[in-house]
Amino acid sequence: MTRVEADRRTFMKSAAMAAASAAVVRDRTFALQVLDDAPAEQSGVRWAKAPCRFCGTGCHVQVGVENGRVVAIAGDQAADVNKGLLCVKGYHVGLALYGEDRLTRPLLRSGDRFVPITWDQAIDVIADRVGMAPERFAIYGSGQWTIPEGYAAQKLMKGGLGNNHIDPNARLCMASAVTGFIATYGVDEPAGCYQDLDECDVLIMWGNNPAEMHPVLFSRVIDRRSQGEEVLLIDISTRRTRTTEHCQEYLEMKPHGDVAIALGICQQLIERGEYDESFVGRHCSFRAPQAENPTLLGEPITFDEFKSRIAKYTPEHVSELAGIPADSVRRLASLFADRSLRITSLWCMGMNQHTMGTAINTLVHGVHLLSGHFGRPGDAPTSLTGQPSACGTVREVGTLAHALPGGRVVANAEHRRQCEEIWGLPEGRINPKPGFHTVSMWEQFCTPASAGGEIDTIWVQVTNPGQTLPNLPKLFDAKKGLEEKFLIVSEVYPTATTQLADLILPSAMWVEKNGVFGNSERRTQQWFKMVDPPGDARDDCWQTIAVAHRLMERGHEGMRDANGRFLFRVEDDAGQEVPIWEWDHYYDVNVDRALFEEYRAFTRLKHKNLAPYDEYVRSRGMRWPVVEQPEGVWRETRFRFAGFDDPFVPEGEDFDFYHSTTGDGRAQIWFHEYTPPPEVPDDDYPFWLSTGRVLEHWHTGTMTRRIPQLSRAMPSAYVEMHRADAEALDIHDGETIAIESRRGRLELPVWIGGRGMPPMGTIFVPFFDESKLVNLVTLDAHDPFSKQPDFKKCAARVVKMGG
Amino acid sequence: MNEPADGISRRDLLRGRLFPAKPAELTPPTQNDSPAPENVIRYPTSRPDLERAAPAVTPFRRTIPVLRPPGAVDEPTFLRDCTRCDACVEACPHDAIVHAPERFREAAGTPMIDAMRSPCRMCEDFPCIDACEPGVLTDLVPPVMGTAQIKHQLCIAHQGGFCSACWERCPVEGAIGVEQGKPEIVESACTGCGVCQHVCPAPTNAVVLMPALSRPPSPTGSTEDPE
Repeated sequence: MTRVEADRRTFMKSAAMAAASAAVVRDRTFALQVLDDAPAEQSGVRWAKAPCRFCGTGCHVQVGVENGRVVAIAGDQAADVNKGLLCVKGYHVGLALYGEDRLTRPLLRSGDRFVPITWDQAIDVIADRVGMAPERFAIYGSGQWTIPEGYAAQKLMKGGLGNNHIDPNARLCMASAVTGFIATYGVDEPAGCYQDLDECDVLIMWGNNPAEMHPVLFSRVIDRRSQGEEVLLIDISTRRTRTTEHCQEYLEMKPHGDVAIALGICQQLIERGEYDESFVGRHCSFRAPQAENPTLLGEPITFDEFKSRIAKYTPEHVSELAGIPADSVRRLASLFADRSLRITSLWCMGMNQHTMGTAINTLVHGVHLLSGHFGRPGDAPTSLTGQPSACGTVREVGTLAHALPGGRVVANAEHRRQCEEIWGLPEGRINPKPGFHTVSMWEQFCTPASAGGEIDTIWVQVTNPGQTLPNLPKLFDAKKGLEEKFLIVSEVYPTATTQLADLILPSAMWVEKNGVFGNSERRTQQWFKMVDPPGDARDDCWQTIAVAHRLMERGHEGMRDANGRFLFRVEDDAGQEVPIWEWDHYYDVNVDRALFEEYRAFTRLKHKNLAPYDEYVRSRGMRWPVVEQPEGVWRETRFRFAGFDDPFVPEGEDFDFYHSTTGDGRAQIWFHEYTPPPEVPDDDYPFWLSTGRVLEHWHTGTMTRRIPQLSRAMPSAYVEMHRADAEALDIHDGETIAIESRRGRLELPVWIGGRGMPPMGTIFVPFFDESKLVNLVTLDAHDPFSKQPDFKKCAARVVKMGG
Repeated sequence: MNEPADGISRRDLLRGRLFPAKPAELTPPTQNDSPAPENVIRYPTSRPDLERAAPAVTPFRRTIPVLRPPGAVDEPTFLRDCTRCDACVEACPHDAIVHAPERFREAAGTPMIDAMRSPCRMCEDFPCIDACEPGVLTDLVPPVMGTAQIKHQLCIAHQGGFCSACWERCPVEGAIGVEQGKPEIVESACTGCGVCQHVCPAPTNAVVLMPALSRPPSPTGSTEDPE
């Protein structure tokens, strides 16, 4: 047996042990007892903790390492999130490192080929591109950046170059959740936590499919049921999914029907006088978007105005708009009217990838606030994230075109001053004008400079826009042949994005580097480097710092602080600067720790306080705000704004929305008018097309499709359609057909009665398959506030091939 | 991982699939209260403990169960009449039929299915049967190659997680039943095609695939036992 086989065998054996003990353990005492237990030592395997590399759930795994290779993965029983359980992807996460085609050398494009170059040359190439036109340079990152990586990129751009053209793929993913939270509470991220799933009586999933996308979280609920607890699961969706099978009630809505349903629930609560008058009276105000130039602040409206505007959303009218029975609207309202129930709402891309994304997010918060289903364990409006650090990095570090770390924004002079002070920068370094958000960044990049395109160079880290951007022909493929455009891609594998790259940088991934992630429930999670990256692959964070230093060597003053010191100065214990820009010295100190400690100062600006780095080393993550207690213990917060748990709520208050946009401690209940989707099916394009993920693959499948077990289980993309639609078009299960929209065309096999079952007139295509890019077809229309595109609905037609 | 040997017990190894229409004379003779039919021992690999359990001096002929393509006649006839012409190998549109490797001894080189590599997709028209000139693959024999078994302790769906790969992709209607998301093989319907084993994404494959222990003799008359 070769060495590789031996490792794989050990790997699988250990993973099997994990699977065998994978029942969810809900007894918290038990979880405490095993706090620092790693799986038993076996044949020289060393074990250490890490959060899973894939989704935003934030399960912890134990990683087994032998002879410099990850050889085993086990669910971490000491982790509060998953209690030892993993999903089908998680069990194989270690294999994500060992695809055969890892990138191991920097590669520079030369015509149609790539030539290997040294790192020194690669850093020079980037410095050249930045130096040529710093204001025409952009960074496109992701919610898979670790917190220190995102922080370094943020500091390089906004603090160093005075350039705000930095945006993440999370713009495609949860930007509407952010705007929803900010518009409602004045501060981002869920107030509740996963404990809500353990305590709720009713779980409403708004266009959400956790059985496939957040399986470990969903099993927390299903496990309660198998133990005899009663939990009512309601699925509001545009298609039947694996989640639907576990739900007692399924409401099949039309696209955008969620907006009408939320309005309808509010209408009924008010008409019947069953809203929570006391909670609303003490803790809420009413708000609506301005008629002209609407903002997230909106304008105040009175309760009576709210009541009169919402009056037309009667159950019958909602039924017309949303396509669900009027009685179902009444039924939902009755559930919310019952204060003895605990109701948790869950959502993810269904509500976020929505041209009314901000509106529907605020409306669902509004339903919970109006009915008083807020702030008790199990009573929570909770958005889930799809990336492991969408919250930790993008939302908290603020790697968005308009934001700064710690909930600051570039447009605010006081905010800029605070950041400049923490970073030790001369006043005025930070540019007050927001940069280009994702869609416009790529539009500028794909437009020739002669035609007004304002971005010439984009550096992509940890994401795959060549597959995930909507309307790829316009926003990505158009780059081809534009001489002046230059695409830099830090990656671990060849992807749809590296296809058009001019410079490819091989990156270290996951446990090949130190890292910190922040999951969906505000939990910050740390891990250490366990194995070396292959070949010349290096940390993304080092790449950023090396470029910054090269720019400083070339005399770019932005790379120095007000005292003339390097922007990323890291000192050893003796106070000597460590040359972390040299790879050989990068791990002489823990750069992650240094950047994290610097970043912590920002987290206190908006009550998102983080504990010192070393506290996270000891724990399986802690949920912010984490506040030091008099006895020196660091205490996490499970329920924000609730007096019984949140340390920032004044003594004696039951609730305090201390970041209220109105400055009076109140949350905002928003009114938004229902508007139809931007593109609806017509005679030419008679189908709704929706897109999404599948259980076995994570996002664009660059990691999971290289894991044989997952690839065999779900080898390629397909189109789901209703049996009756297929029969009408004489299409058989398994037949290859074409789908076409006004943007593009795609051929793929039909799967009828498979994983998901769309209603008549709807088709669904997953986006994981790089050989079948559904984003050639999707629409780039986006939410006016969050700028998040709507991948969930556009008009398409189905064409039978060869006939 | 192609070999489920690590994950299965000796009992599983010995259980195997008995063809429903089993001719009476194939009932194996027993000796010393051995619980095992004598003609099944060696799948998928030889193991030292089994060598001991079935000493080499056994007077009975030992046939290694092979996962044959669909419609295969009884093993002795198959071994005798298969000309190794490869017509079935070439006819299979899914490259599912391969040559049995050396460890299958006298069966080496004959057509078989390695489900982990590529399982039988249960084609409607069975091009492999059509292609078989000597008639050792014949549509007079039901296309039952064996049976699958799901090991609950390895199955993600049975262990509190979510997975639906095997029953979504099973090409035989009714061969995998599902209750509350947990799959179970319906032995009377399962044909042993191996799709479920192929797609199973569990850390250790949760599907054990048992080739048919015995298959009916060729109904065309050439059933003379080579022994």
